[in-house]
Amino acid sequence: MINVEDLTKTYGKLEVLKGISTTVEQGEVVAIIGPSGSGKSTFLRCLNLLEMPTGGRIAIDGVELTDPKTDITRIRQNIGMVFQHFHLFPHMTVMDNLTFAPMRVKGLSKEEARAKGYMLLERVGLKDKADVFPSKLSGGQKQRVAIARSLAMDPEIMLFDEPTSALDPEMVKEVLAVIRDLASTGMTMLIVTHEMKFAREAADTIYFLDGGRLIEKAEPERFFSKPQSERAARFLEQVL
Amino acid sequence: MNNKFVRRIIVSLVCAILIAGCWLAIAGQPASAAGQGGGKTIVMGTSPDYPPYENVDAAGGGEIVGLDIDIAKHIADKLGYKLQIAGSDFDGLIAALQSRRVDFVMSAMSATEERKKSVDFSDTYYNARNTIVSLKKHSYATLDDLKDKRIGVQLGSTQESVVAGMKGAQITKLSKIPDLMQSLKADRIDAAIVEDAVAADYAGTNADLHFEMIPAEDSGEGYAIAFPKGSPYTAEFNGVLQEMKADGALQAIIDNWFGTEKEAEPAVKNRGLDFKRLEPYVGYLVRGTYVTLLFTLVSALFGFIWGGILSLFKISNVAPLRWFSTVYTSIFRGTPLLLQLLIIYYAVPQLFGYTIPALLAAGLAFGLNSAAYLSETIRGGILAVDKGQREAALSLGIPYRTMMVSIIFPQAVKNILPALVNECVALLKESSLVSVIAVADLLFRASVIRSTTFLAFEPLLAAGAIYYVLVLILTSLARLLERRMRRSD
Repeated sequence: MINVEDLTKTYGKLEVLKGISTTVEQGEVVAIIGPSGSGKSTFLRCLNLLEMPTGGRIAIDGVELTDPKTDITRIRQNIGMVFQHFHLFPHMTVMDNLTFAPMRVKGLSKEEARAKGYMLLERVGLKDKADVFPSKLSGGQKQRVAIARSLAMDPEIMLFDEPTSALDPEMVKEVLAVIRDLASTGMTMLIVTHEMKFAREAADTIYFLDGGRLIEKAEPERFFSKPQSERAARFLEQVL
Repeated sequence: MNNKFVRRIIVSLVCAILIAGCWLAIAGQPASAAGQGGGKTIVMGTSPDYPPYENVDAAGGGEIVGLDIDIAKHIADKLGYKLQIAGSDFDGLIAALQSRRVDFVMSAMSATEERKKSVDFSDTYYNARNTIVSLKKHSYATLDDLKDKRIGVQLGSTQESVVAGMKGAQITKLSKIPDLMQSLKADRIDAAIVEDAVAADYAGTNADLHFEMIPAEDSGEGYAIAFPKGSPYTAEFNGVLQEMKADGALQAIIDNWFGTEKEAEPAVKNRGLDFKRLEPYVGYLVRGTYVTLLFTLVSALFGFIWGGILSLFKISNVAPLRWFSTVYTSIFRGTPLLLQLLIIYYAVPQLFGYTIPALLAAGLAFGLNSAAYLSETIRGGILAVDKGQREAALSLGIPYRTMMVSIIFPQAVKNILPALVNECVALLKESSLVSVIAVADLLFRASVIRSTTFLAFEPLLAAGAIYYVLVLILTSLARLLERRMRRSD
């Protein structure tokens, strides 16, 4: 369970997050949508402290993230993150990308890590790519490998930061299929996305952010058919 | 920055330096150590480029031989000491005495008033006379003939004082006698003032050279053994010198080197190169190549590791670390490498009482200097790695050190590989600077061969060819490495 209380983030004079409070339940799938510059990505990146919050509290299963005594490296091992631009390690093969952290951080043996790697590659449909370098993969394949790399650490929470925004249209589907499949396993997930159809189908809850505030929080059906706020209505009008 | 990480880096750095130090200390043993029975070891400093007093028997075992050496051996024998010989440049000998690197100096050194201010001298053991060497077609005979001419002398030698009073003349000071002779032949100077034995040697092997004794009243003081001020050896050595003069042992040694006409070497032709005469010295040069390579490897490795650490300091959040590395880089880039080398070599013994071996001093100076440049290169390489790599590693819960070593560094190194190769090539060639502190590297050995064979160019060309081949090998290896790193593209 993720508890966020009055989370703020400023860069100099620029206020990006102006006090966000919410609770994400175990197994909940949240799609975060909103216009660009609304603070979606910043909010997501605060959840594993890639961005240090300026104010407020974040607690995951009761553990305060900003408490100096908290071992953030340990917390991060439990939170997978998938980036818009994949960020695979280019000097390692696909399999090494998948096994590096489990072996070096969790202390898995090479055999265990590879066995797990193959299983995950099979799950994302890339078992035959184990020994190629990332530069030989298409964007969609890279993103699927990146998802598998995060899953290799057995996280309880997965964060997706616009996972399909950098992909050619024909590759979006294969990535979304993987994420959807993952959502059905009961993983807690937060997904920043512009894919409205996907958000509607896959998410349990929609967060609509605008101007650094969480404007609306609703079930997909209700949000997309009858948005409560005028801003959300205007946004949906533009994107749908 | 993670504290444990910093501590580990420092520990491994210290280990690396110690290992490199031991290695260099072994490799840095003076080329000549003449065992003289049991007893305590005394170290003699000499500049082995002055036959027949002292020169490197390069064709033989590479030992330093000569008149001075024989006398020193005789004295050490009588006193029951073990004699060890340390070669160095002539103008570095006094400094070597003062920093107690050597116990005494015998290097055809005259006991001048000027030198007596810095060191003590024994009684003189030989009186040489100064001569004027010039081309046969000029055959200058007296100092008066040279009033308005260009004159060459050896830097730091007694002959400097002979020409000191000559206002109209243009004086050129060079470190090595062979360079003087070459300048003479190349018409850069009109005459060289050197002492009789040296002049005779050169005139004997160079048909176009002529020498003339300078009348005795102008000639320098006799040669004597130099000691650090207040050295207990001075009296002991004088005692043995007295004995040797009395029983004829001294004269016997002198006769041995001067008395019998040496077998005249074939006169050197003026035109054309004669590489055949280098043949006996091939082994000697190869050993120099080994020294150059070893030294380059150690200083490149040390420079790379230390430079990597400095670059981490530069991007660290800890302000004092950033200041330190910035000041460090500024100092080591802002002063000449040669100066750093001399300071480390001469200052360490004086400040810390540790006689740092020449190769270690050189490795240290070059490593420290190279690290200053490399830290900037590596920092650039690290900053050029996509920020996302760092975020991806962090989000996987990979600790800082592991991330730096296994994720960021390999990519940074790939970015800067061409610059790293440049640095290695530069180090390899700049390594020739170490000859100033008498590390017997490739170029040093080439000049030793020059002074022994009286060949001007051939040893230099041979050394140049070896350097070039080394650089070619290095760059081909780098190309292989680069290809391997690019296989992930």
